[in-house]
Parts: sequence; structure tokens; C-alpha cells
Amino acid sequence: MKILVIEDEQALYESILAYFTGEGNVCEHAADFEAATEKIELYTYDCILLDLGLPGGEGLELLSRLKKMNKKDGVLIISARHSLDDRLSGLDLGADDYLVKPFHLSELKARVSAIIRRKNFDGDNIIQFNEIKVDVSAMKITVNDTPVTLTKKEFDLLVYFLSNKNKVVTKNAMAEHLWGDEMDLSDDFDFIYTHVKNLKKKLAEAGAKDYVKSVYGIGYKFTSI
Amino acid sequence: MKLSTRYNRVNMLTSLIILIITGVIYYFFIHLILTNKLDKDLAVEENEIRQYTHTYQKLPLPASYLDQQISYAESPGNAKDIREFSYTTYLNTKENEEEPGRSLVTTVNLKGKNILVTITKSRVESEDLVRVILLITLGVTMILLGTLFLINRFVLSRLWQPFYNTLKRMKAFEVTKMEAIKEEPTKIDEFIELNQSVNAMAERVKQDYRELKSFTDNASHEMMTPLAVINSKLDSLLQTETFTEQQGALLEDIYQATGRLSRLHQSLLLLAKIENNLITDAQEIDLKGLVESKVRQFQELFERDGLTVEVKLTEKTLTMSRYLADILLNNLFSNAVRHNVQSGKFIIELSKSALVVSNTGKDFDAKDRLFDRFSKSSESEGMGLGLAITKQVCNLYGYEISYKQINKLHIFSVFFDTEY
Repeated sequence: MKILVIEDEQALYESILAYFTGEGNVCEHAADFEAATEKIELYTYDCILLDLGLPGGEGLELLSRLKKMNKKDGVLIISARHSLDDRLSGLDLGADDYLVKPFHLSELKARVSAIIRRKNFDGDNIIQFNEIKVDVSAMKITVNDTPVTLTKKEFDLLVYFLSNKNKVVTKNAMAEHLWGDEMDLSDDFDFIYTHVKNLKKKLAEAGAKDYVKSVYGIGYKFTSI
Repeated sequence: MKLSTRYNRVNMLTSLIILIITGVIYYFFIHLILTNKLDKDLAVEENEIRQYTHTYQKLPLPASYLDQQISYAESPGNAKDIREFSYTTYLNTKENEEEPGRSLVTTVNLKGKNILVTITKSRVESEDLVRVILLITLGVTMILLGTLFLINRFVLSRLWQPFYNTLKRMKAFEVTKMEAIKEEPTKIDEFIELNQSVNAMAERVKQDYRELKSFTDNASHEMMTPLAVINSKLDSLLQTETFTEQQGALLEDIYQATGRLSRLHQSLLLLAKIENNLITDAQEIDLKGLVESKVRQFQELFERDGLTVEVKLTEKTLTMSRYLADILLNNLFSNAVRHNVQSGKFIIELSKSALVVSNTGKDFDAKDRLFDRFSKSSESEGMGLGLAITKQVCNLYGYEISYKQINKLHIFSVFFDTEY
């Protein structure tokens, strides 16, 4: 997939580019309004990550230009402005999602993957990973054509893992993804462990290999290696 | 006490006192003048009687006097040079009734004999005059006081109207609304000055508010960016090489600290936003449904701590921001879970008038500072902002939140309609 990162903070876009590059992804980057406008006009992307506060212009202006050009690129707004107004006006202008800084790269990846799946497969929203097949819109999972019944949380967790294949995902990020960042959870993520354990058990029972590895007590990694 | 009442009172009181004093002085002087005139008349009569006696060597007949009564008597001990005025009452033979009068007792020498003469003149007319004058004075006083009262009441209140209008506008002034306080048309210098000062002040307050707001916005943006960088770099770092157990523990600590920092920051921003009334997406909320979904959301946490959950809900809709309703419930639930004991109780009741969240838990101090910012028990893992935010949300919508402890149960109640 082809992704454009419009972000002026160098340290941040470097991290994003590093995290997204690989697995056949092509990532490009624009640091200001003009460069971003040029890229948007010249190329088509699967998803555009758009920072609202840009040198040289407003990020929302870029969004409305994109929509005027009738382009079908997915747009995810990333902004430090934790404001409902911006969120609503961004979504009104046709952005697909909105993520507030600071965010976990795994969360960003999960959201971008979701946008791209929705764009590319038009209702046929399926993730295939070796023997595991996930139909995201129907919420159905099969392992070698054996159906697996998961709870809502376990299902979300699996999709999250699949969006962040071969990456270490922290328990912190997983908790925020599953319960929302406004829940003000304590720093004790034991219940994440329970969900992961159940997920692993159910997948193993259906005949899948054990892809979920625990990493230094911080998090997990979904990998076939 | 209102200014006009106070002014009215002082005004009326002084007017009344001055008018009473004037009335009394008036009365005495008129009385004195009239008595003087009577005395002069009596002296004239006395003179006539003396001349008559001197000329005709006999006393004039008492009946020949129309306006006054005259009587003669032997002077006791042949005393002479008696001459005194006095107030008396006498029988008016014409009218045949007792009347007040003024008498002059004097002596006349007739053939070497001293005769005591009493001349009495009616005082009725002068008394009447004094009474009329007194009544007129009283009447004028009353009318004057009445007029003063009316003037004070109506003219004064109309005169002060611009002041009250300005006051009303100042009360309605909200710093978040950017309109200016309208000028109140008036021709009175003081009020014009007041208006100008009020407007200048409002302008200053707004300016300060705008600066503070933009400062908060900028600070938030500037703070969020490095936080976002730290977070993303941590995520990137995690993907690089394999770490030892020890390094993993360090990384986890850093993750938790950054997580707390960003949550703290978001909470502070949220508080500022609620206080400034910047969250305006009020809508009909099905509170019962929201509570039910929140109970489901917290299920894992309840199970982790082995809490017994009791839910008693009735249908209830509220008009408020969905976002804030969510935060309100989140904070109350988190609080009840965080401060609970193992295998404790969590009870939530929703009625038409109130939402009550109760939980078992340890005793704690500083109950009166419960809703203050950054007030928390020493063992609490929270930031001490949850209940402060909850209280702000309640304030915003005019709900009343209260805390009480019954036995081991900590009870937080949110009353939706404070009039109940």
C-alpha cells in the first residue's frame, strides 16, 4: 500500500515512516503545506496521514482540496488538538478517521489498515494470514476453514495483531485500543493477559500455530517467525 | 438596602423634623402676636374706663360694652396699682356658653376709692386663627412629604435606571461569549463614566481570556508534540533489537510514565474546556443505555477484582454532551473500582432524579477535599483529577454531586434536578 505522511515534526514522521515501511508498503512524506499539495495533486495514495497544524497552511484546507479533486484517497487526521470541533469538521470534510497526539504507532497502523481495507475491498473486508482468515465486516474467523468463535474483545485483539504483524505491540496500546483512552485505567494490565491467553487457546484449538509471542513483559508480537 | 430607600429615608426624616420644628416655632410666634394684640385692645378699654371715670366721676355701665365684658368689685384693702393680664374662661352671655378669654384686672380711682375692674375679651377668634394656621401648616407638610416620597420613588428610580441596566448586563456578561457590553444611553456623566469603565474592563477581561486561551492551546500543542515524539520513538525502539528482561522492565516504566503524562495533560485540557464551556454538543442522551454499556465495558475490571455488581436502572434521558456523559460515567466507575477492596461491592442505581454509585472501600481522610484538583489518597494510582472533572461536568449542567459514607459504603450521588 502507498501512504503519504504529512507532518512537520521530523522526529515524529521518521518514526512513522520507519514503522510503516516494509511488507511492500511505500511511504512518502511531506513536511509543509506546499509539498503536500504538490504530492496530493500528482499522485494517488491508499491513505494520507494528515497533521492539522502545518507550516504554510491549514491541514483542513488540504483535505477540502483533496475532496474537490474528487480523489478517493483515505485520510486519517493526526492532530494535537484534542478538540471536538476539529474532530467534527475534519470528519465532515470527509476524513476517514481522527487520531489525537500522542498516539501509539500500533494504533496508527491499525487505523490506517482499517481505512485501506475499507477502501480497497469495498465490503469484502478480509485479512488472510497463513491459515487464519478474518472476515472483518462479518466478524467471522476461520482457521483452515474451521470456524472459531471469539468474543468481541478477542476479535478486536486479533485484528489489531494482524494489522501490526511482526511488530511489538505494548499492553498499554492494546488496552487503549480495546477500552478507549478515556477510561482512565490503572497501570495494571493483567486483564490484557487473560484476553491474550484465551485468544491463543482458541486459535490453537482450531489448529493454528502459536503466532503470539510475549515480549519482555511489555507486550506481544504477532509473528510467524 | 437599596440606595433609593436609604436616600428616601434620610430625606423624609430630615424633612419631617425640620417641618415639625418650623410648625412649632410658627405656632408660638403667632400665638404671641395674637396675645399681644388682645392685650393692646384690653389696654385701650382700660384707658377708656379711666377717662370715663375721671370725666364723669362714675363708672361706665358694663352693658354698654359689646365686645368685652366688664365687671367691678371692691379692691381688697383699698389696694391700688394692681394691673395683671391672665387667661380665663368666661360665660359669653350672648352665645350663652363658656369661652376662652383674656382678662385684664386693673384698678380705677373713683372719689378716692379704689375700684377693681376686670375686663375680659373673647379669645375664640384668635384661637380659631391659630388652629387654621396650624392645619394649613400640617396639610402643607403632608403634601410636601408625599410629593418628596413620590419624587424619590419614581423620578429617582428612573434616574438610576441606566445604572441598573448596566448592572444587569454586567451580571449577564460571559467571558466566553465574545460580544461587547452594549452602551446604555444616558445623559448623566457618572453613568456615562460607569459605562465606559465597565466596557473597558470587559474588553480587558476578554483580552486576557483570549491570551490565556491561546496560551493554553499553544502550550498543549507544544507539549503534545514532544510527547508524541517520545511515544513514537519508544514504539520504534521496541521494534529494533531484542532486549534483556531488565531493559524490558525499564521500557515498561517509561511507557507508563509517558502514558500518565499524556493522560494528565488531556485531563487538564478537558477541565479547562469544561470550565470555559467549550463543549457544546448537547443532545438527548439515553442514560440507562449508556450506563448499561459502561457496565459491560468495565466487566473485566469487575471480574479482576472479584466485585459483586448490583445494577438498578430506570429509563432516564438527559440533555448533555455525549462525550461528557461518557466521561462522567467513566470517572465514577473508575473511582468506584479503583478504591474498592478485593471481593467488594459495586452498586449503581439510576432513578428519574439521581444517579447513585456506591462502592465498598477503605476509610480515607480529606473527605471535604474529595472534589478538589490533585487531591487523592496516598495509595491511589490516579492523578486526583477524575472527581474534579466529574464535579465540573455536574456544575456545567446544574447537577449536584455529593458524597457520603454509610458504614463501609462510599456513596456518590448525582442529582439531575437540584430543585427536588
